Amino acid sequence: MNSIIALSLFGIANLFLGFLNNRKILLPATLAFVLVALGLNLADWNQEYLWFNNMLRTNNLSVNFASVILVATFLVVAVSRGFGDDEEHTHPAEYYAIMLFSVVGAIMMVTFENLIMLFVGLEILSVSMYILTGTDKRNLRSNEAALKYFLMGAFATGILLFGIALIYGATGSFNIHGIEALVLTAAGGSAPALLYIGIVMVIIGLLFKVSAAPFHFWTPDVYEGAPAIFTAFMSTVVKTAGFAALFRLLGGAFTGVYGTWIYILYFLTMLTLIIGNITAVYQQSFKRMLAYSSISHAGYLMLTATAKVAHTQSSILFYSLAYSVATISAFAVLMVVAETKESNAEKTNENFDIFNGLAKNNPLLAFVLTVSMLSLAGIPLTAGFWGKFFIFSDAFQRGIVVPLVVAVLMSAVGIYYYFKAIISAYFKEGDVPAIELKPIYKITLIVTTLLTIVLGIAPDLVKSIF
Amino acid sequence: MFIALIVCLGLILTNVVVGVYSERKISAFMQDRLGPMEVGKYGLLQIFADLLKLLQKEDIVPKLADRKLFLIAPCIIFIAIFAGFAVIPLSSGEYLQGSKAEIGVFYLLAIVSVDIIGLLMAGWSSNNKYSLFGAMRAVAQIVSYEIPLGLSVLCVVMISQSLNLQEISTQQGIFSSEGNYLFGIKSLGIDVSAVGGIFTWNVFRMPFFFFLYIIFFIASLAECNRAPFDIPEAESELVGGFHTEYSGLRWALIFLSEYGMMLLVSFLGVILFWGSWYSPFPNIGSVRLADWTNGEPNTIAGTLAGFFWLIAKAYLCVFLQMWVRWTFPRLRVDQLMYLTWKVLTPASILFVVLSGIWRMLMN
Amino acid sequence: MQFWYFLTALTLLSALMVVLSKNPIHSVLYLVFTFFCISGHYVLLNAQFLMAVNIIVYAGAIMVLFLFVIMMLDLRRNMPDSKSNLTKLAGAILGGTLLVILVAVMRKTQFPQFSQMGGKFDTQTGMVENLGQVLFRDYLLPFELVSILFFVAMVGAVMLGKREAGERNF
Repeated sequence: MNSIIALSLFGIANLFLGFLNNRKILLPATLAFVLVALGLNLADWNQEYLWFNNMLRTNNLSVNFASVILVATFLVVAVSRGFGDDEEHTHPAEYYAIMLFSVVGAIMMVTFENLIMLFVGLEILSVSMYILTGTDKRNLRSNEAALKYFLMGAFATGILLFGIALIYGATGSFNIHGIEALVLTAAGGSAPALLYIGIVMVIIGLLFKVSAAPFHFWTPDVYEGAPAIFTAFMSTVVKTAGFAALFRLLGGAFTGVYGTWIYILYFLTMLTLIIGNITAVYQQSFKRMLAYSSISHAGYLMLTATAKVAHTQSSILFYSLAYSVATISAFAVLMVVAETKESNAEKTNENFDIFNGLAKNNPLLAFVLTVSMLSLAGIPLTAGFWGKFFIFSDAFQRGIVVPLVVAVLMSAVGIYYYFKAIISAYFKEGDVPAIELKPIYKITLIVTTLLTIVLGIAPDLVKSIF
Repeated sequence: MFIALIVCLGLILTNVVVGVYSERKISAFMQDRLGPMEVGKYGLLQIFADLLKLLQKEDIVPKLADRKLFLIAPCIIFIAIFAGFAVIPLSSGEYLQGSKAEIGVFYLLAIVSVDIIGLLMAGWSSNNKYSLFGAMRAVAQIVSYEIPLGLSVLCVVMISQSLNLQEISTQQGIFSSEGNYLFGIKSLGIDVSAVGGIFTWNVFRMPFFFFLYIIFFIASLAECNRAPFDIPEAESELVGGFHTEYSGLRWALIFLSEYGMMLLVSFLGVILFWGSWYSPFPNIGSVRLADWTNGEPNTIAGTLAGFFWLIAKAYLCVFLQMWVRWTFPRLRVDQLMYLTWKVLTPASILFVVLSGIWRMLMN
Repeated sequence: MQFWYFLTALTLLSALMVVLSKNPIHSVLYLVFTFFCISGHYVLLNAQFLMAVNIIVYAGAIMVLFLFVIMMLDLRRNMPDSKSNLTKLAGAILGGTLLVILVAVMRKTQFPQFSQMGGKFDTQTGMVENLGQVLFRDYLLPFELVSILFFVAMVGAVMLGKREAGERNF
């Protein structure tokens, strides 16, 4: 809760820092802001609070989710490098401010106790994302992506809102614990039919935001069109927040009538996994591949969100963390390499082939890329492996066999396309000049890589906290 | 209620006759001319002659115009303005009150904003570039100036703690059910409830309201598309703005609404700031000027007195609007937008804060 | 009650006309009319404040922006029929299914009657004062946080809309 207030103020402070005409100060200031918010967030540890007439609930679950979001934000900000030295075409103060505001929305989605808070949080996050997607104003693709994202997102929000209204009509409450109680008493079949359709609509609205099939059509275009740094932000923070919200609804408020949604979600999980992984195989663009990979990871997370066992939440958290860290380092490598290549070519090239021969002059970057790819693919000794392992074992315990089999098969497919990047970095001929990295950038890359490996060797370090 | 309806309709019709004649005479006086002198004594019948001409004129609809929209647009403009009069309390008591809706002034702002849709319909359906330009300018201007207007109304509502215009009116004088104190501040200890007159008007209860009224007045001028905010009709560049293609009765209807709007915002300004239907004279000792000039509510004499004071003050405001029109040159588009977004809006937000503080002092 | 039926029929009719009109301008104007009808429903519910807000925000501001954009684009001339028959069919089936489901759900749901509410019916619920009480007490936090939403939207609009150095001067 305090982190929400602090981040709102920090966002405004960031805008004022923009007046200073000193672009150097923004990056450290934003990093400090995120750290302060993280500290305030952790101060709620082991305490359960309800804030402002049951609008927000902070407990260990919400602190964990918010921490994952804030850590991801910190890493993304750290690799943003102050948005370059292009004085005329970038507005770092505004970018950082909007990022901080969007984290406010994300934390609201994690801590909400009232569906209105969910809606407002989701809107803050989405509107920020629409804007950040379109920040590259000179790039037509960026403009197109922003418009597409905005139109489709607005539509999905409409469906979510309609669902919330129907649930309110059925239960007379916006409070998720109130809804949970009413749903449990009504589970015998006396629930108003409005409830079921409302629940389905809310789930559809949220699945759109986490880009699950068949609501994923915006994802590749938006991920490709948006500047890489914001794609990284989008694919980590939005996804974590979206799944936190989905988990809190499915695992809490809607548990009583799980018969309504569980088969829909099984089906959508399988669809998401198949579409995400199979389509990713055919992608030429690395960024687009990461977009489809993010769809497929949404599938894995959906698998565990449906499988409600005692430690589901720690599986989701661990997976989100592992996925976020790996994705951010992949995007970080992509950004520097694409930028180096850009100075030679006219158009930004973000295909696999820009990594050709990366290992020769830049062993660090190649190694970071490899680790992140291995983690995303779920190879042992990386965090991603344990993430997938926990999810699969949850699903197995729950006894959802068919989606589990599909998930295992599809993660085998995943190995193919993730290795394409590694192969081009190490085994293909190409010339990537040695890239000079700023210290903070280098440190971030090393930290993310180390985190991935350490979590891969000793997952209990973090898993025991969650 | 029905009396109020008929009185309002009559008022709008009379207003256009009085308004046009006085505007021509006033402008003539300011420019050292004589104005209309031909028809009737001092040109008094000129306006009736003009009306007769308008009624006889053919109702032309351009061939390429969107016929239905073209025909319906003036009616919508007129309905929007006329509906605004519904909540105006024309006098004390119940005879001339119209609607007693609790949200009074808010409804007024809402329904008047429908005017914009009529303007756009008129401008677009004429299929004429001057009309479209005029409509676009008019709408951009009205939408922008609605913000300082709404904020300045909000300040008054904060002080009065009511949206009901009759309630806001009653508070500003001797009939108020709560006590009135000098400058509205109780701790000053000077009870003026029985004194009335200008000492209990809103501009006196919250002295800064005089400056707020200036904001309100400027914004309301822009809402009426009156000079110096008449770029929508700028004759020198746009022929006649959104009503270029209209003729005859429909043009008269647009004209009627324009003058009706002038009167409406004058009423609103008087009700919100200048003591509504109360007379300006206070009770001084045994000289009960306020009691004598206001009469009792719900009596015929009291109703007529209140009506007189309201109309007199409103026409003073209308005169002010005309004075401004014939004194100041027209603003450029960028100056217009600069004025509303960078001057009036921040200033009125400042007044919202001030009013909040003042309200706290008043308790 | 009769008036309610009349108003509802009018609302549905004008909403249908939004979809069916060929001319986008007419569509928007029908939409404005639909909003007016919905405002009428608010009045019948004695939610006067919402009625006025609905008119100010939708009819007065948002729809006007709609009209602005559509008039600027002049859709009458260049409106290619971009939708293939397949998309139309799919849309019709999807929309129709949703309609059938919603109608079925509404029919199945038993809404509480006035008599069942034990006479606990407050006609003043929708008035400004009650709304203010609820908004600034129970829903204070979302109310304040919505300002962040608007602020983000505003910052974004200014940032994206600002003319950059070297861009074309219209």
